[in-house]
Amino acid sequence: MTVTEPRPTNDAPRPRFVRADGPDKVTGTGRYTADLTLTGVLAAKFRYADHTHARITRLDVSAARSMPGVLAVLTADDVPDVRYGPFVQDRTLFARDVVRFEGEIVAAVAATTAEIAQRAVDAIVVEYEPLPVVTDLEAALAADSPLVHEGWESYGSADPIVRDRNDASFSSITKGDPDAAMAAADLVVTSRYVADASHAAPIEPRAVLAQWEGDKVTIWTSTQVPYDARAGVCETLELPANRVRIIVPHLGGGFGGKCGFHYEAHVAALARAARRPVRLVFSRREEFLAPDRRREGMVIDITTGLRRDGTIVARTGWIAIDNGAYTADSGFFPQLAAMHVAGPYRIPNVRVEAHLVYTNHQPSGSVRAPTAPQACWALESHTDELARAVGMDPVAIRKLNAVDTGAEGPSGQTYDEIGLQQCIDAATAAAGYGGELPDDEAIGVAIGWWPSFSAPSGAYVRIDGDGSGQIITGAQECGTGAVMTLRQLAADELGMQPEDFQLIYQDTSVAPYDMGATGSQTLFNNGRAVVAAAGQVAEQLKQLAAEQLEASPADIVLADGQAHVAGTPSRSVPITELAGIAAGGELLIGHGSGQPPGAPPLVGSSCVGDVGMAAFIAPQFSCHAVRVKLDRDTGVARVLEVSTAHDSGTILNPVGAHGQVEGGVLMGIGQALTEGTRYDDDGRQRNAAMLEYKLQTCADAPTIRTTFIEIPTPDAGPRGAKGLAEAPNVATAAAISNAIAAIVGRPVRQLPMTAERVWETIADAAEAAAQDGVAS
Amino acid sequence: MLIASTLDDALAAVAAGARPIAGGSDLVVGARHGKAPLPASLVAIDRIAELQTVTETADGGLVLGAGVSHHVIETHPVITGHFSGLADASALVGSPSTRHVGTIGGNVMNGSPAMDTGAPLVVLGATVELRSTTGTRTVSIGDLWTGPGRTAAAPDELCVAVHLPAPPPRSGSAYVRLEYRRAMEIAVVGAAAAVTLDADGDVASISVALSAVAPTILAVSGLTGLAGRSVADVAAAAAEAAAEQARPISDLRASDRYRRHTVGVMARRAVEAAARRAAGETIAVPVNRALGIGAVAATPGAPS
Repeated sequence: MTVTEPRPTNDAPRPRFVRADGPDKVTGTGRYTADLTLTGVLAAKFRYADHTHARITRLDVSAARSMPGVLAVLTADDVPDVRYGPFVQDRTLFARDVVRFEGEIVAAVAATTAEIAQRAVDAIVVEYEPLPVVTDLEAALAADSPLVHEGWESYGSADPIVRDRNDASFSSITKGDPDAAMAAADLVVTSRYVADASHAAPIEPRAVLAQWEGDKVTIWTSTQVPYDARAGVCETLELPANRVRIIVPHLGGGFGGKCGFHYEAHVAALARAARRPVRLVFSRREEFLAPDRRREGMVIDITTGLRRDGTIVARTGWIAIDNGAYTADSGFFPQLAAMHVAGPYRIPNVRVEAHLVYTNHQPSGSVRAPTAPQACWALESHTDELARAVGMDPVAIRKLNAVDTGAEGPSGQTYDEIGLQQCIDAATAAAGYGGELPDDEAIGVAIGWWPSFSAPSGAYVRIDGDGSGQIITGAQECGTGAVMTLRQLAADELGMQPEDFQLIYQDTSVAPYDMGATGSQTLFNNGRAVVAAAGQVAEQLKQLAAEQLEASPADIVLADGQAHVAGTPSRSVPITELAGIAAGGELLIGHGSGQPPGAPPLVGSSCVGDVGMAAFIAPQFSCHAVRVKLDRDTGVARVLEVSTAHDSGTILNPVGAHGQVEGGVLMGIGQALTEGTRYDDDGRQRNAAMLEYKLQTCADAPTIRTTFIEIPTPDAGPRGAKGLAEAPNVATAAAISNAIAAIVGRPVRQLPMTAERVWETIADAAEAAAQDGVAS
Repeated sequence: MLIASTLDDALAAVAAGARPIAGGSDLVVGARHGKAPLPASLVAIDRIAELQTVTETADGGLVLGAGVSHHVIETHPVITGHFSGLADASALVGSPSTRHVGTIGGNVMNGSPAMDTGAPLVVLGATVELRSTTGTRTVSIGDLWTGPGRTAAAPDELCVAVHLPAPPPRSGSAYVRLEYRRAMEIAVVGAAAAVTLDADGDVASISVALSAVAPTILAVSGLTGLAGRSVADVAAAAAEAAAEQARPISDLRASDRYRRHTVGVMARRAVEAAARRAAGETIAVPVNRALGIGAVAATPGAPS
């Protein structure tokens, strides 16, 4: 094991790493989707639902269609009657008969200007019969609740999905005998925590531009998952994959919000109907309301049985997750949430049940580490309650119960080399945990985990006649730098420099499949593909060099732009010269994919609704220790310092890795303190704007210290790397909660822990203390 | 849109029905958010030199041209030194870019009850100079606002300057607001105070005004009887009076109950900071950052 030096955020120097896309983005020459135009391009606008739950009784687009400048108006009648969805096929491109949330699309218009398109949208006549609105998670699960989908039984769904009425996906993890163990425990602690929904809020609102040439369509779109977007277009418009080309220009952030298939098919259908290119550019308000990718609200009940010495003997949990009106990629959320409520602890007896509940809210979907920040916040706040109940130090109770190498986790997985215990030690040491602090400050500690996602992925590597290289990859860069790091991997395989390679990426007609910028999987899987592809070219180069140097290919070493004979660096030939030779014969082309690592076995547990999330491939671990200062008079909490330690395996790009941790922490602070969607009684968002949905700013950023616990992990990504981008978002809110609770004397039970909620908790604590005084 | 190069051109355009626009940080942003469409007729007043000046009067007062930006206010040594409460407020507006385009005249005439500069202007005794093609009049700042987004100005009147009287000796002012983040924020509640100390260090005079707790900036009444009492007593009494007189609403930013409580806290802190400045202490602008009031102080010694 090696522990890298802590690198404080703001001061310490870091190794030089120039991103291939950096100069474009920094100088403003980079082009994003909304910057693109085509001759004759039309503007698209959507007509959204006027109710959050209603039956459409009349839909009349004739006035809109006859407006000058309007070239296409589409409704459900104008596209194939296809229900889609990766887990439950409950969705259509346009509302059919019933609208189920405020951002549902009833019709789409393409016109010569955005203003005309908007006037046409307003001229569409829709009449409704309102239906009962479902917003409360517990009430929605009751047998007599109105249904969000009357026809739920007729929908198709993926095999492992367990459904019942408003419960779109149910999962449970059970191990041992939790009831008996709970009954025998010395102490039982029960907690309820409620998390509000929140948003990915990328800086670039999404945009889509589509153009047909004959029976083929090219779609430029701001997606994190170009191949998923292509699959969605093919499914809903009934086209073969080779007639749909998705190109992603520079992507202005995503944070999961641009995963999945969104509006590519709507815009392609408009362009086909109008016989002109069509461009859709979202406003910030639309970016808040319409996509099926907000972070899900949750209700979490946790009960834990302990022995007096702090050993956890049993845990039960009940989770309700707000699915919203449709099931995007949220089908796997219940099992993943259950894992996070069980937590990275050695618990012999477990039963956690989780429901994905339909409501008339915007649909939920993968936002950076879906379910984890909320579930970790609840579990780790509960863990501090356990510590208080048995009179133990919060760090000590974690050290006692947390998993370690060779230990068995709550789902029956036994872990290979992992570094959670080291993470706890490193983060708390960096934070100065245990030292003296003013009475309005405290350090809160939380631990988290997150799987690596194994998936097929492909890349080509080629070296042209002048010795310059190209990496043609299916991988998608959403800002993390993961794709940028691929140059380093190829260069290392070939003894070249990263700058020797151009990246050709984000074009589904050029590169082989990749899952996209989702699940922190880019380097984990595409890194493997690039190493494999570069490895083939390396073999070709060694063969050529062997002929030139009269040696065996096995003895050729590629380094510093040369091929040389092992042990005799002077017997060498430049790679550029070999490339020139190859250009006149067998070209230097490699392709790679490699076998994705498989899931580890689970022993002794049983899972209902098993979507494969109870077995963590190459699991990542983290510990965050956060120093918070609280203004008791107002409840305003300020995060002063965050000390993190992460086991994400081998770190391939330290600059990018630190950037991911820092960004994840800042996002976590927002989730902890200021970011939460507010709904009215009809399920409409009340704060769908940047002023009232409060992201953290640079001025709010604390000092962030990060230690990477680098343990080469078997069955992981290239060189023992695991994923990274989501893991730093898991434990920050939880650690902040524990710091606030340490100052106030009790946790704030609703996320975000806004100043007003903290102030109310302080008042409740004071009232309780006063009553205790009266009672004694 | 007319781009006026002289005040007379601007006044003529306003008389003809044009809406004046300087930074556009309320008008344009409001139009984008669907608050109200951009007026059909606009006159740009941002290039009129005489609206850009900060002039010290012979008696120690100050005349701020209506086009003076928040950035100028937050960095002008006379304002940060002698009219600190106003500088505290301008320094908290939006972001650096907002502060470069946003002007004092625009802020005042927009009439938002949540505006930051309003409360300090009230406690500093500001008057507003309104001019039209037919003449000039001066209105006390407290009489200017008639409701949220409404002023006593006639449609043909343009705000050309804000006048601040000379502060008395041994006086100081401060503006403090409750905020949930440290940039791009709007006051949840805010309070300004101007304090004059007597020779014993007790309070000789006190004035407090509040942001975002009433339809207009609210001047706290009934404080004159506090003269001669200690700063701590006055701060506590001002806090109580502020919480009592506030008429807050519940909205997305806060409940009325929370606003009523926190405006008292802000009032107390504003009085304390103003009194320290009155006693000669230099507290950097804005007080929110220097003392960590509202948002809590960062680590001592750390840049804030």
